[in-house]
Amino acid sequence: MTIVSLKDFSLSYTKDSPPALHRIDLDLNSGESVIVSGLSGSGKSTLCLAVAGFTETFPAMTVSGQIIRSESADGKPLRVGIVLQNFYSQVTYLRSTVMEEIAFPCENLGLPRAETARRVSDAIARIRIGHLAQRSPLELSGGEKQKVVLAAAIAGKPDLLILDEPLSQLDPESTSYLGEVLSELKQELALLIAENDPYLTLKVADRLVVLSEGKIVADGSPETVIGPSTASCLDLPAWTKCVAKAYEGSVADDNRMTRQYELNYRKALSLLRGSE
Amino acid sequence: MKVKYENVSFNYSSTAALKNISCEFDSGKTILVAGHNGSGKSTFLKLMNGILKPTEGRVILGEIATDGKRTSELARLCALSFQNPDDQLFAQSVKKELRFGIDNIGGGDGLYDSIVDTLHLGGQLQSNPYALVYAMRRLVVIGATAAMGTPILALDEPTAGLSIREKEYLGNLISFLKARGTTVVIVTHDLNFMLPYSDDMLLLSHGGVQFSGGRDEFFTRSDARDLMKRSGIGYPMYARISSALDLEKAAFDADEIAEWARKKRAGVTQRTNGQHQLEGA
Ligand SMILES: Nc1ncnc2c1ncn2[C@@H]1O[C@H](COP(=O)(O)OP(=O)(O)OP(=O)(O)O)[C@@H](O)[C@H]1O
Ligand SMILES: [Mg+2]
Repeated sequence: MTIVSLKDFSLSYTKDSPPALHRIDLDLNSGESVIVSGLSGSGKSTLCLAVAGFTETFPAMTVSGQIIRSESADGKPLRVGIVLQNFYSQVTYLRSTVMEEIAFPCENLGLPRAETARRVSDAIARIRIGHLAQRSPLELSGGEKQKVVLAAAIAGKPDLLILDEPLSQLDPESTSYLGEVLSELKQELALLIAENDPYLTLKVADRLVVLSEGKIVADGSPETVIGPSTASCLDLPAWTKCVAKAYEGSVADDNRMTRQYELNYRKALSLLRGSE
Repeated sequence: MKVKYENVSFNYSSTAALKNISCEFDSGKTILVAGHNGSGKSTFLKLMNGILKPTEGRVILGEIATDGKRTSELARLCALSFQNPDDQLFAQSVKKELRFGIDNIGGGDGLYDSIVDTLHLGGQLQSNPYALVYAMRRLVVIGATAAMGTPILALDEPTAGLSIREKEYLGNLISFLKARGTTVVIVTHDLNFMLPYSDDMLLLSHGGVQFSGGRDEFFTRSDARDLMKRSGIGYPMYARISSALDLEKAAFDADEIAEWARKKRAGVTQRTNGQHQLEGA
């Protein structure tokens, strides 16, 4: 089911600036994880903000087209959660422990205490931050704060969760298990993730949307989208770059990546080795 | 300028962030600092530029120990770009932001021009830094920090939020600063991108040192994977590919591996390009 639909949607931050988003047509569906990639300035964050409804309050902005949001299952307005690129501003610092910080969105929803407690402990377990639960949100490292904001967003169980580069400050081990967590989450809610990391894309995305200068230049499964036509907008896995360089582009021209990237990895190795 | 930590510990009110660490890096080196979230990396950098002073032990820049020195004095030795760029921006325009370091600490106009060129900030000089996209804000902060022209430059997660294009600019800036003799200390989770630029590595885990020394030396160690794992870091992709290919030593970027493969191909067979394809499954 389509939960958010952008129809011929354009947005400029000021009258004179070029559009940050240009004639976007995009449907987001329940149970689906969509990753948006592209160079910085291509419109990823603006798209996240627009879908979340934040841009509706920007003063000097001009928009055209429409964003249509469906209702939540209970007939209330669609619940949308977002973790901003600069998540530091999302730590409320009003609470004395991480646990209470994570409970904040649930309390805002007016959930019963027991339900809040259940969701909070579930989010803490998923993000693996039990060791931080009783710490003050003020006294955390950058990556620890990012995990706390992510946990709070998950505990809120929105219909659509928007994450703008959610793993930017995380160590590689956390990136790897949070990839799993995001894959599980899409059973429960729709995901829109701005992200350029190819490994996360291959792990999590049902659909990859590539933006360039505010326009959608590709939209489809990662296997069909990642290829020569989008290579200038995307980071590619290391082995793909090696093969492409070793064969001066000829292999890259015919390269479609798949989710079974270990398989491709092995193929790439045998190619580089010259044994195939 | 040389950097030396002698039995340094640092405690925040409730947390021991660094526990009796010692390490030493020569002048002009590029040093990568890696470790899991909360391992003490940012604390390590803040001790270097003197925002924090050791609870125990000494941090020595060149011949100068940071304890007892004022932050303003230390700012001339070591400039730090923070993990969160928005903590650092303050000027009305990108130009003012970048000029601040030049005018107050004194990197010189030549340095200013080089930074603007290298980071491709020329088109943004009149913009308000807060109106820029996140990646540009980070580049501006990195540029402004480098513009101080200090002998030591410390960067906390400089690639976070950058796309491939800005990462390339950042890489060029690091090479440029290295050529000027700057000691560059980089905290990063992005080893795949940063390793080619580095001489030395410091691996932290739970506030302790897992490894400190030369990059190439590190990758010849039989316990290299283990050490990285204990620091919450995956073994870097290019090193993985190198070992899967049985390269004599770890390569750190695609160029090195491609070069190796090309040579091997030329030596072994006369196969033509395009014969081999990486198929989708
Ligand atoms: N202001 C603070 N007050 C109290 N404890 C803190 C503070 N800042 C950090 N800590 C704690 O000190 C330890 C080291 O933190 P530090 O910020 O140095 O880690 P880091 O390696 O930079 O982590 P990250 O990769 O997440 O940025 C962590 O346990 C952290 O929770
Ligand atoms: Mg840090």
